[in-house]
Amino acid sequence: MNDRSQRILIENLHLSFGDTHVLKGIDLEIAPGEFFAFLGPSGSGKSTLLRAIAGFGPLPEGRILIGDEDVTRQPPWARNVGMVFQSYALWPHMTVWKNVAFGLEERRVPKAEITPRVERALDMVGLLELADRRPSQLSGGQQQRVALARTIVVEPRVLLLDEPLSNLDANLRIQMRRELRSLQRKLGITTIFVTHDQEEANTTSDRMAVLDQGVIQQVGTPMELYDNPTNLFVAGFLGSANRLPGRIVTEGAGRVFRAENDIVIPVAADEPEGEATAIFRPQNVHLKAQGEKTDESTICLPGRIAHSEFLGSLIRYGVDLAGTEILVDEPHQAGQPVLPEGADVTACLSADQVRILRE
Amino acid sequence: MAAQSRGQWGAAGAGLAVLILLLAFLVIPVAKVVYVAFVDVNTGGFTLLNFVDFFRTSLFRESFVNSLYVAGMSVVFASIISMPLAYFTTRFNFAGAALIQTLGVIPLIMPPFVGAVAMQMLFGANGSVNLLLDEWFGFTIPFMEGLNGVILVESIHYFPFILINLSASLNNIDRAMEESAQNLGAHGFRLFRRIVFPLAMPGFAAGAALVFLKVFDDLGTPLLLNVNNMLAPQAYLRISSIGITDPMGYVISVILVAFSLLSLWTSYLATRGRDYASVQKGGGGLMRRDLRPWEKVGAWALILFILALVLSPHFGLLLLSFGTIWSFSVLPDGFTLAHYREVFSTALPYITNTLLYAGLAALFDVIVATAIAYVVWRTDLPGRKVLDYLGTAAVAVPGVVLGIGYLRTFHDLNVPIVGKPLASWWVIIVIALMIRRLPYALRACTAALQQVSVSLEEAAQNLGAGRFDTVRRIVVPLMAGGIAAGFVTSFATAAVELSATIMLVSAESDAPLSYGIYVYMQTAAGRGPGAALGVLAVIIVGIATWMSHRFVERTRATAEADRKLAAAAGA
Amino acid sequence: MKRAIRKTACLAAGLAVLLMSGVSARAMEDSLVIVTSFPKDLTSVFKKAFEAKHPGVKVEMLKKKTTAGVKYIQETASNNTSDLFWASAPDAFEVLKGDGLLQKYQVKAKGIPAKIGAFPINDPDGYYKGFAASGYGFMWNTRYMKAKKLPVPKEWDDLTKPVYFGHVGMSAPSRSGTTHLTVETVLQGDGWKKGWALWKGIGGNLKTVTERSFGVPSGVNSGEFGIGIVIDFFGFSSKATGYPVDFRYPSVTALVPANIAIVKNAPHPKNAAAFIEFLLSADGQKLLLDPKIQRLPVRPDLYDGPAKHLPNPFKGEVAAKVKFDVKKSKARYNLVNSLFDVMITYRLDDLKAATKAIHEAAAALAKKPNPEAAKLLDEARALVAAVPIDEAKSMDAQFAAIFKKKRKKATDKVTGRQAEVEQKWDEMVRANYAKAKELAMKAAAMAK
Ligand SMILES: Nc1ncnc2c1ncn2[C@@H]1O[C@H](COP(=O)(O)OP(=O)(O)O)[C@@H](O)[C@H]1O
Ligand SMILES: [Mg+2]
Repeated sequence: MNDRSQRILIENLHLSFGDTHVLKGIDLEIAPGEFFAFLGPSGSGKSTLLRAIAGFGPLPEGRILIGDEDVTRQPPWARNVGMVFQSYALWPHMTVWKNVAFGLEERRVPKAEITPRVERALDMVGLLELADRRPSQLSGGQQQRVALARTIVVEPRVLLLDEPLSNLDANLRIQMRRELRSLQRKLGITTIFVTHDQEEANTTSDRMAVLDQGVIQQVGTPMELYDNPTNLFVAGFLGSANRLPGRIVTEGAGRVFRAENDIVIPVAADEPEGEATAIFRPQNVHLKAQGEKTDESTICLPGRIAHSEFLGSLIRYGVDLAGTEILVDEPHQAGQPVLPEGADVTACLSADQVRILRE
Repeated sequence: MAAQSRGQWGAAGAGLAVLILLLAFLVIPVAKVVYVAFVDVNTGGFTLLNFVDFFRTSLFRESFVNSLYVAGMSVVFASIISMPLAYFTTRFNFAGAALIQTLGVIPLIMPPFVGAVAMQMLFGANGSVNLLLDEWFGFTIPFMEGLNGVILVESIHYFPFILINLSASLNNIDRAMEESAQNLGAHGFRLFRRIVFPLAMPGFAAGAALVFLKVFDDLGTPLLLNVNNMLAPQAYLRISSIGITDPMGYVISVILVAFSLLSLWTSYLATRGRDYASVQKGGGGLMRRDLRPWEKVGAWALILFILALVLSPHFGLLLLSFGTIWSFSVLPDGFTLAHYREVFSTALPYITNTLLYAGLAALFDVIVATAIAYVVWRTDLPGRKVLDYLGTAAVAVPGVVLGIGYLRTFHDLNVPIVGKPLASWWVIIVIALMIRRLPYALRACTAALQQVSVSLEEAAQNLGAGRFDTVRRIVVPLMAGGIAAGFVTSFATAAVELSATIMLVSAESDAPLSYGIYVYMQTAAGRGPGAALGVLAVIIVGIATWMSHRFVERTRATAEADRKLAAAAGA
Repeated sequence: MKRAIRKTACLAAGLAVLLMSGVSARAMEDSLVIVTSFPKDLTSVFKKAFEAKHPGVKVEMLKKKTTAGVKYIQETASNNTSDLFWASAPDAFEVLKGDGLLQKYQVKAKGIPAKIGAFPINDPDGYYKGFAASGYGFMWNTRYMKAKKLPVPKEWDDLTKPVYFGHVGMSAPSRSGTTHLTVETVLQGDGWKKGWALWKGIGGNLKTVTERSFGVPSGVNSGEFGIGIVIDFFGFSSKATGYPVDFRYPSVTALVPANIAIVKNAPHPKNAAAFIEFLLSADGQKLLLDPKIQRLPVRPDLYDGPAKHLPNPFKGEVAAKVKFDVKKSKARYNLVNSLFDVMITYRLDDLKAATKAIHEAAAALAKKPNPEAAKLLDEARALVAAVPIDEAKSMDAQFAAIFKKKRKKATDKVTGRQAEVEQKWDEMVRANYAKAKELAMKAAAMAK
């Protein structure tokens, strides 16, 4: 973090396109120098929120603060926030150099100062030699870097990135996200990164917000969100999850979760009674041969292999537990045979890997 | 040969047919006229002396400079008119943007002769405006005098070419292009000048080139304002005058054609080497924002002023058509329906002829244009680009030159059955209109074809459809919007064309509307009915435009849905 | 299936439209094609009456400017489709006659004298026939004259007066056959030198030179300019339509017949002859008195009856002093056109500037006479009036041939090119006008 980093504070933000209510009461604080991700399915409102911070789109209700300044009603050109667009939006009628110099010229920076700053920015993204090319003569990755250089050269208060990697191929994407991350560290600039790809969000961000239907579902570090989703949507959106609908009931001294087909999972005694859903990840279920020994907290149920998929590092089985199908991931080792369809197995799950959610 | 192996025989046949058509009805007739410019009148041999004479004659040099000046200034004024209209309607949430865009096209449908008279009645030395100015303030403004008058009338008449092309370009700019500039601190006029306008350059350049060459070639306006010292009127006066068969008229024609081609070429150069494909996104890239109240007032005031200016000829036309006597007064002495009665009782054949000619011409235009576009963009036949060049170059041929060329070329060619020369058969008018308006249709159809993904055609071929069936069942339906747009532009402008038709009408019963107006406007009593006929022309073309506009919108909506479907299926 | 039916129906309808418009009006035998420079108001009346009298004959009126009509008949001669040429200017007929494109015809109708004023009504060689008389003069817009406080001009000379500066409109002889006649009439009536001086004088007062002859009455009717030099019926018909205009003949005018002739190899010679006979019959002649037409009939008996309100040219009510020499006019037809354009049409601005300076100097001198300045002013006037060639040269067949590029045979020799000659004239004219302006301004300064 450097001393110019600014926090972003969003309070009760509502935004509509005509009659379509797109953002519904967003509250969010992003710390200075933080690398923050907006994650959510397509159409969830990520771009709309990001653009609202940059000053684009319809005038929202609520407040947006950068540092201590309320920017809600400021026009885009007065905000000094840097935004990199999904399509990069490099101007085809200008050379790379001109593209990068544009923002400085608009800020009436003296000519003598522009040259070294543009040079530095281009050098930072490793494109100094290509300064005289036109955007159409660059590869996708190079265009992306120009877009980045063009934005950071003006030293914006915050950096906004809208799906910056989605136009790149898989390998380049991984390389670029590392570069992005290290650049952000170097500059210490508060950054928001919009993506629909959870891996991207996980690998880059300090914290992230999951959005759905214009509502922030949960905010936290990637691991928090994965391990402790607070709702079904977050649980389902971050990786695969098995969900068993059922009820919490009192049984003897404690409480248990009882699924529809009589699968019973012990839960904490303070879980209130009522309808609930049990969530657990496929990799936390283990298939055991029949009769293998298990410890107390492990729930084991007999089942039958319904289908299997080979996913490279693991094999994903569909296991039929008395009419309910769950997914089970088993790590794959060379030479290890795949269990055949119809094989009888025991599926075991440690109770502390189960999350109980209510909606 | 690649062509046979890929089953391109059908396309090759179509291409060849189009080539023959263009040779017969464009190249050869024009060449016949051009040829005279190179003939020594004294010996009958080849010479460049006539061109030397041209540049040695001070009158021609002056005319040449005047034509360049007028064409250039008209581009400037047409741009000044179009830019606010295009910018405000594509960038802001503006009630009635569609209306403004439609009204903005109407000046193109200005019937000949009456339009100029209407302008005189309003803006002439003793027209309504000047009479009022004189009465109220004691001074007058020479709107319609000399070259400046020509510039005024031409800009008002032809600015829609820039408006249409510029609006299309503005609509196609990815909004992120502008947003990123705003994000970096640009706004207002600087944003327009540094980003928006350069990005809209292809559309602007195309429109500006059209305006330039149209004005450069235009005959009617300078003649009606009695400005003779320009190239097109000089050519016309020399060619059409009795006995003066000196080659100068033809030399001027050659120079007109050459300069028109040059302006097309320049507009091509202006956009070459910049990859605008990356800018354009498929649908309308909407970045519209609301105007603040005072901005709204300003914008509306500006737009209403421009509309009032550009629609004033039509307003004057309306007054003429309902007026009794209008002479040296602000408004007509009285109003009457008699002119319309007269027109409805005698002039109906003109209307049916116009609908027939302009309709057939526009129909053939879109057929030929589709064929050219397909051959050029979807086959690898050798020399296919020639079709594109020829089809586009037709825009650079002044109507008089084509008309004379037809008389020269087809006069001795008797049509069987009909028993008269091709040059005096009504079909020749249709052909002339078709050739003159082909460039418009070609532009529209090419754009439409380029938006049809090749993979859709490949899918059809993969399912066993032959090339012809693919074109008929996949390509043409998907191009429908563009084809309809091409049809409208060709139809609307053909319906009021005069320069070529006036030379080719050989019987009054064959005459179209524009000719009918011309005939009415030769008599004292004919001014009212002529204006009424002009109003009818505007209405007919307006309705046709509106109907096909709706058709375009409908097909665009379904095509959009189809495309999405195809994209989804592909993913 | 349904679609196919609909398509076929469309196609059939389309074909029907095609065939109908292609064939219907063009029944092979009973039609008549007339190339005419006359306005619709005139032609439609005769068309209607003739068609009523000859049921089954369809008359096609092909409206062209006189010059364009001549050009059209020339260009299409190899495969002629026109029956009659019907226009005002006798010299246009002379041109066609000279090219061998007209057919002789002997009129059967009786009661038409041989001459109208000094002018023979019919072509002495028997090719074209006069059917109405027209004289030239000026029309003016009464509202305009009142607003600008202008007196009504009486003679050609009046139009050169300073008071009319910028108020007069006329067409050019190269664009309008009738204007050519007017110009030539004055040149013959006043003589070459004086005639051109008059035209330059009027030219200097012009507001504009219109491209079509109808541009002049149109401009007067609108009030664009106050006075127009026009053929009589333009004035009469505008007035009859209701425009606030009036017309007058000056004393130097020629009454010239408007004519009709059968085109060589006419496809419908019988109908053509019938039309001429109808036109010259008493019934046909009466149609000329239609309020929108208003031309002078060539049957003297009508002037005692229905044509009472029109001036009777057979009784000298139109002072047609000039004996128009058609041969002379024809010999220098193109040359006169070209001279007029070079000296007036294309150099109008220069001419007007010089004229304005002269008017101002004259006004100054009238207040404060100065003999030296008066001499300068006369010099300036002479410079404006100067013509590059004299009358003899204008009648030099060899020289005139430069302006008539249609070589009859490949061996015909023409020396000099029109563009070359015109450029020389233009240089002289422009220099003269500039000098004249300079002198006049000098004179004005001296009178201050
Ligand atoms: N200009 C607009 N007009 C109307 N609706 C819009 C507009 N832009 C976005 N939306 C709607 O807002 C919602 C959120 O869109 P967006 O923020 O782009 O989603 P994301 O970026 O998360 O994919 C979507 O339902 C979308 O249809
Ligand atoms: Mg998005």
